[in-house]
Order: sequence, then structure tokens, then C-alpha cells
Amino acid sequence: MRKTLTLLVATTALTAAIGLPAWSAMHTPANTGPAPFAAVFDDAAQTLPLILASDGDDDKDRHDRNSSRRGHDDDDEEEDDDDCDAEEDDDCRSGAGNPAPAGTVAPPQNGLFGNGTPPQVKVN
Amino acid sequence: MKSLLATLALTTALTLPGLAMARPVTMTTTLNSYGGDGAYLALYVTDPSGAYVGSLWMAGGKSKYYKHLSDWYRLTGGDKAQVNGITGASVGAGRSLEITLDLSDALFDAGYTLHVDAAVEDMRESPNEIAVPLTTENAGKPVRGRRYVAGFTYDM
Repeated sequence: MRKTLTLLVATTALTAAIGLPAWSAMHTPANTGPAPFAAVFDDAAQTLPLILASDGDDDKDRHDRNSSRRGHDDDDEEEDDDDCDAEEDDDCRSGAGNPAPAGTVAPPQNGLFGNGTPPQVKVN
Repeated sequence: MKSLLATLALTTALTLPGLAMARPVTMTTTLNSYGGDGAYLALYVTDPSGAYVGSLWMAGGKSKYYKHLSDWYRLTGGDKAQVNGITGASVGAGRSLEITLDLSDALFDAGYTLHVDAAVEDMRESPNEIAVPLTTENAGKPVRGRRYVAGFTYDM
């Protein structure tokens, strides 16, 4: 008897957890998509800004092209850009990039470093 | 109990030499107010014959500019692996870079020299801006650079 009661409470809770959001979504305006799955689509709609972020990349590309046209005279722009702004940039083409920053990998095994504390840096 | 003590003694014996063979060394590089962009700095060591031994630090993350650190570039061939894990941001004019590294004792009083190359965008390159013999005697003594570095010291 007690077991049945527990099972009943559990299934009721589960139903309420799943069913109530779906039910409430059915009361949303008709132009938001199929109502029973509105919650799911609402979630998808909330991810739309991520797509817009991708669009921002396009803006960045345009920005970089502008930077290239301007050349290297604008120092502020240069500092904000990533490496792929120079026409003769091998690093950009190969994607090999730059050395690993301190703290991300161990220092090189060149015999200069001990095995103790990792490098610490401070700029004042 | 006896075996625990033996293990403890063994691990202590194995650990102590490692600690004794290296020490933390703090290197401070203060730049002049030269009125330009952030400076790229390469800190590296040569042996008594002047041969490149290794790099200690690279201030400046974009490898495409490393060719302007001309001595370091000549000695390493621009090998980025030399500065993997010891690279940080470039240093602004008038600012001070303080790096603490765990360095091998064998570097000191053995004829090794620490070099600093400097380069600033749209300004003159300064290879071998600093060259200071790594000795216990030189520790804490400020050294003036040729162009961009107002002072360099290492403390141990």
C-alpha cells in the first residue's frame, strides 16, 4: 500500500513537472509555432542570439578587411585585431599560431628551469 | 611503523636534492617612457662561448613580430617552441615587468649571460638591450638598457 502511494506521488510529480510547462505553453499566441512543443521552440528561440553572434563574426571580417585597406597606420585597430590581419602572415595561413602562453603548458625543457614553482609574472 | 619511517626518509632524500638544485629568481625589467606601443622583450641565456642555451621569458604573444627581436631570432631561428609556456603580454612604456622563475643553480657563477632583446612597433629594434653575467654578485644590482629599458635587476 505504502509502495503504491509512493509510486503514485512520484508519477504525479513527474507529470506535473513535464505536463505543466507544456500546458502553459499551449496558452501562448498561435504564431509562436506548434503549441505542445512551444517550450522546446522557446528554448530554441532563446539560442538565437548565438546565431547573431556568428553574424558578429561577419562584421569582424568586414572590420578586418577595412583594417587591411587602411594598412597599419591605425595603431588602436591593430591592437584589437587578431593575427589574421596581415597579408603576409604565415601564422594566419597555417593556423599554427603563437606560442602557448605561460601557465597553459610547462616551460621548455632547456635545462634552465627547475621543477618547482611555475613562472609567475606581474606587470606594474 | 618502521616501514612508514623508511618511506618518509626515502621520499625526503629524493625530494631535497631537487629543491636544492633550483631557486626562485625574480627578474624585474622597467621600461622608459619612450612614447610608443608596448615593447616585445625576449629574455634568454647564452653560455660562456656565446652559444644560445635557452629562453627564460618572451613578453609579447604574436610570433609574427619575433623577427624584430633580432638577436634572439638569429640564435633560435624564430623557433616558437623555445618560448612555449613562458610567454606573456608585451610591456607598455613606463611599466615594469616582474617575472619569478624557478631557475637552476647551475646557471649562476658559471659564465652564463642573460640577454634582453627589445622591439617596439614603428620604432628601432634593440637587440642585446641588456647583457648581464649571471653571478650571485650581480644579483640585486640594477643594469641600465641601451634604448628602452630603464633598469633591469634579478634577485635571488
